[in-house]
Amino acid sequence: MKHKRIFTRETILGLIVLAFMAYLSLTTNFASRNGFFSMMLDVSPTIVGAIAMSLVIFTGNIDISAGTILGFVSYTAGELAMSGAPMVLFVPAAIVVGMLIAGLNGWISVTFRVPSIVVTLAMNMVHLGFYATFLRNSGWIENLGDNFTWFGRGMFFNLVPYIFIVSLVVAAIFIFIMRYSKFGKTLYAVGGNRQAAIYAGINPDRTVIKVYLVEGFLLGIAGLLKAMTRSDVLPSSFQGREMTFIAAAVVGGVNIMGGSGKLIGALFGALLVYMLSTAMIYMGFQDYYQFALQGVIILIAVFITVTDFKALKHNLRHAFAAREGK
Amino acid sequence: MAKQNVKRKRPLIGMSYQGALLALLVFLIVLFGLLEPVFFHPNVLFNVTAIIGEIGIMALAMTFIITTGGIDLSVGYILQLSAIVFGSVYGSSHSLAQAIAAAMLCATACGFLNGIIISKTKIPPLVTTLATMNLYRGLSMIVAGSQTYSGFPEGFKQISTINLFGIVPIQFTYFLVLFLAFALFYSKGTLGRNLKGIGFNEQVLVFSGINTKRSLLFIYTLCGFMCGLGALIYLGRLSAATTSMGNDLNLQVITAVVLGGTSIMGGIGSVAGTFIGVLIIGVLRKGFTLLNFSGNIFNFTLGVILIIALVAFALLEERKRTSQRRLKG
Amino acid sequence: METKTEARSDDLVLRIEGIYKSFPGVNALTNMTIDLRPAEVHAVCGENGAGKSTLMKIITGIYKPDRGWMKLNGESLDIDSPIDAYSRGIAIIFQETSLFPDLTVLENIFMGHELKKPLPGTARLISILDYPAMRRKAKEIFDRLGMAVDLEARVADLGVATKQMVEIAKALSFDSRILILDEPTAALTNKEVDTLFETIRKLKAHGVSMLYISHRLDEIFQIADRVTVIRDGEHINTEDVAKVTKDELVSWMVGRVLTNLYPKEEFEIGEVVFEARGIVQAGVLKGIDLELRKGEILGISGLAGAGRTELALALCGFTRLDSGRILLDGKERHFANYRQAMDNGIVYISEDRQKYGLVVPMSISENITLPLLAKISRGMGIIDRAAEREINDSYMERLAIKAPDGGFVVNNLSGGNQQKVSVAKALATLPRILVLDEPTRGVDVGAKSEIHRIISNLAKDGKSIIMISSDLPEILGMSDRVIVMKTGSKMGELMRDALSQERILELAL
Repeated sequence: MKHKRIFTRETILGLIVLAFMAYLSLTTNFASRNGFFSMMLDVSPTIVGAIAMSLVIFTGNIDISAGTILGFVSYTAGELAMSGAPMVLFVPAAIVVGMLIAGLNGWISVTFRVPSIVVTLAMNMVHLGFYATFLRNSGWIENLGDNFTWFGRGMFFNLVPYIFIVSLVVAAIFIFIMRYSKFGKTLYAVGGNRQAAIYAGINPDRTVIKVYLVEGFLLGIAGLLKAMTRSDVLPSSFQGREMTFIAAAVVGGVNIMGGSGKLIGALFGALLVYMLSTAMIYMGFQDYYQFALQGVIILIAVFITVTDFKALKHNLRHAFAAREGK
Repeated sequence: MAKQNVKRKRPLIGMSYQGALLALLVFLIVLFGLLEPVFFHPNVLFNVTAIIGEIGIMALAMTFIITTGGIDLSVGYILQLSAIVFGSVYGSSHSLAQAIAAAMLCATACGFLNGIIISKTKIPPLVTTLATMNLYRGLSMIVAGSQTYSGFPEGFKQISTINLFGIVPIQFTYFLVLFLAFALFYSKGTLGRNLKGIGFNEQVLVFSGINTKRSLLFIYTLCGFMCGLGALIYLGRLSAATTSMGNDLNLQVITAVVLGGTSIMGGIGSVAGTFIGVLIIGVLRKGFTLLNFSGNIFNFTLGVILIIALVAFALLEERKRTSQRRLKG
Repeated sequence: METKTEARSDDLVLRIEGIYKSFPGVNALTNMTIDLRPAEVHAVCGENGAGKSTLMKIITGIYKPDRGWMKLNGESLDIDSPIDAYSRGIAIIFQETSLFPDLTVLENIFMGHELKKPLPGTARLISILDYPAMRRKAKEIFDRLGMAVDLEARVADLGVATKQMVEIAKALSFDSRILILDEPTAALTNKEVDTLFETIRKLKAHGVSMLYISHRLDEIFQIADRVTVIRDGEHINTEDVAKVTKDELVSWMVGRVLTNLYPKEEFEIGEVVFEARGIVQAGVLKGIDLELRKGEILGISGLAGAGRTELALALCGFTRLDSGRILLDGKERHFANYRQAMDNGIVYISEDRQKYGLVVPMSISENITLPLLAKISRGMGIIDRAAEREINDSYMERLAIKAPDGGFVVNNLSGGNQQKVSVAKALATLPRILVLDEPTRGVDVGAKSEIHRIISNLAKDGKSIIMISSDLPEILGMSDRVIVMKTGSKMGELMRDALSQERILELAL
């Protein structure tokens, strides 16, 4: 017996993304070369970051310091590039920095049994303070040369940015990993039923540390994709990016309580969140509407994934019945 | 079980922890005094109590919330939003009464929204307030645009600038009075009992006929209200409402509470601990200012302190558990 | 008593000898001995808390025994974890499900031991999950079980019985030769039980040996080859099922004659105080009627899953009724929530103390006064400490709770004393009607009879009591009248003089 559901949450999301694109194309100059180009440029780091965040959320954790980890990554890359290092050197170095800092979050959280959201909230502040206190000019680096920006600004056929291709390749690899590796299944197991995961021979603590390391790896890539499009780097400017990642993940159907969700959903979520904010800008709303928008999006998306609608319907029916009875 | 072998109930956070906190407070005062002797001047010491007014009263409400196993990440931006609303309403009406009413209403409504979502849906407090934190921040920016509100009347500023007996800052007396009230309700009131019960095991309270949802709604709304008070006190001191004033407040408030010995897992807590925690943060801030350290170093230190407090508390709990096992076995 | 039917020890698949295990305050297992022959179903039965689950957790490596040894096929066996047990061919089907609700059936079956194949073109350096192979194997297993289950279905969408089949399939995916089933029928309907037994017989035919844990005697006679009775953590007897009668089993389980266990005191029973008419909750309760008189103990019997707790929750206002009426002293009442039921003198004592009954890290007095904080607080909600102490002390004395004072943390009390605190907490609300759900679950024998004395005294004082219990001797000993439930329906009502174990079981099964 083999039947595949066609209208899964992910296909519906995909359709919404397409519909939204069509709407933007008809009502704005989104369909132009500029519109598409800036979308590909802006959405690339978000796609990779949303995937990183989703992996962490699968295990029932979260990372509020993801934004400021991007700052460390881009600073490391920028500083090395400034001293003339080629890409083969500064890219791995930056990724390793991302892994170490994110890994520290996971290590503290599991070793001392402190909820990851509190640890990473504190880390967020530690990171910001660190930039300002210990980095020259708060880590601001400007006038970076071609050795830094050539990849970020490069494009195929004068249309498709390299970084967009990178983000899609990363997404594809991780979608593959989630489906075809033991590691992928382990993440869902730890977030879905911790006790059963232990019974199945999975070490939840080690899994959580691993997932933070992988998250750090991906944040390294996301940070580079963002930083390498510009000739200057300011670490603190990445603060708040984590909210975009979380929004993309939960809009994509990743359950904030852990244990379920799909990376393809997070990919669509990243596109959708980008297009929503683009639409707002086209409609003439200021940049700062983004904060409010993200807050509302997260609330709605989480509400949809955590609410038991059958029970809700049942309760509502009762409430109405009671009212009519009086 | 023989009577003399059974372990007596002791306060879960014994005097030893709060004693250690007090020692830390004294140590910090002495340290800053040695580095910068002017720190020992009574005016400076009392100024410490002036700058903690707003985070102090928010921390009191936060102690209630964390005791239930929840958290409110949005406090800083509730304060910011209601300060901006105050500025905006005052700017257009020039009526202090209207501005104060609007600010308090706004703050309370924000807290109420948090409370409604947390008590009526299954969205955990962390996620709820993480989202509303952004919502309130965005709203404050939408209201203010790029404006900064200032030019409030002298009469208003007095709510935060008078010194009682010529030396005790008035906002410290607000904090002190509220602290006493919160401590009373926390340790001797039905509310405190319910909050601790919710933190340990909410189901048991439901099965005891207690409306836990109402308690939750109440404390998140109360927290919003306290943020409103905080906004007024803050404005009285700084005389300008900006769209960055709430930025780091939630970290300060949470650090004070956790440092004070309230368990992030819920059930265990201490309002007196929070009081000392707030004082420690005030001393740090004043000390850093005198030593010309930047605000970023302060935030960095706070983040580190929060992590150390969390870890220390977790280790203490672990030790208590293992020692209990030994007693039983 | 020693094992009567010795098999030649080299025939045995599994042998367990002299296992001891103690937890703080309790000796869970004492000199436990049990063995398993090839292709047999060996039932293990005993009352709640007899040590069955502890034994299973030792066999599967969740607990480490303090003393004793195990042998698998004649070789010494030392297991660290369930996955270790699995890999040696010992699998357990847990009472509480160990599945991952959001994953598919296939992902669940192979969680932790996925089949892999090398990724083409990577020279065997990278291996990936082999879905076709896993699908083949899963299908083969379900074929063997005679079941068709959609491998791509999300486990959360499956029924209880299908979930259990997935668990069994998971166990078989390790090629297990030994299967441990822990109360597998607890949540199943009769038809589902038949299917399960069919499955068990098929597995037996394939040479799988099974330890079947249950306290349902009829099931044991239906499915098992041998039966071992354990009581209070000790091995009592092992016998071929064919050579033993139900009465013998029961007497081994309880260890004494059933009559005169609980001195039933006869008092005058008054007028009807509480009535329920046609209580319906879709899919759970199917039109239940009951009435309760003053000073009466009404027993509610039935197997787990019969809807007894659900009925109690519905009567006490925890859950909504789809239809039906509740009458108190002849007047109709609607309880929108538990608080309203409580205000009308109805109180519920949960079967699960740790989860719903008591806040265990809090003190005795804090727990007892939890439901009446509003009543003992003065203006502004400040608790009157003197009143609190008075209430606490009077109930601690009345119920003989063994602790130095009310400030003692509940966590450090024995199970029996915890249950007394639970009862004290209910009594402090001054109820007229008490709904007790499994009042003596997990308490030792001494505390049990003490709790029965308390219940008896309450009835004497004119309180009305609804007592839900799976413990037949308890039901027989305590009740004035018994209602027997099965799958959400009331199967019958028995007066005290017509009560017998056989009658109850007849109705319940």
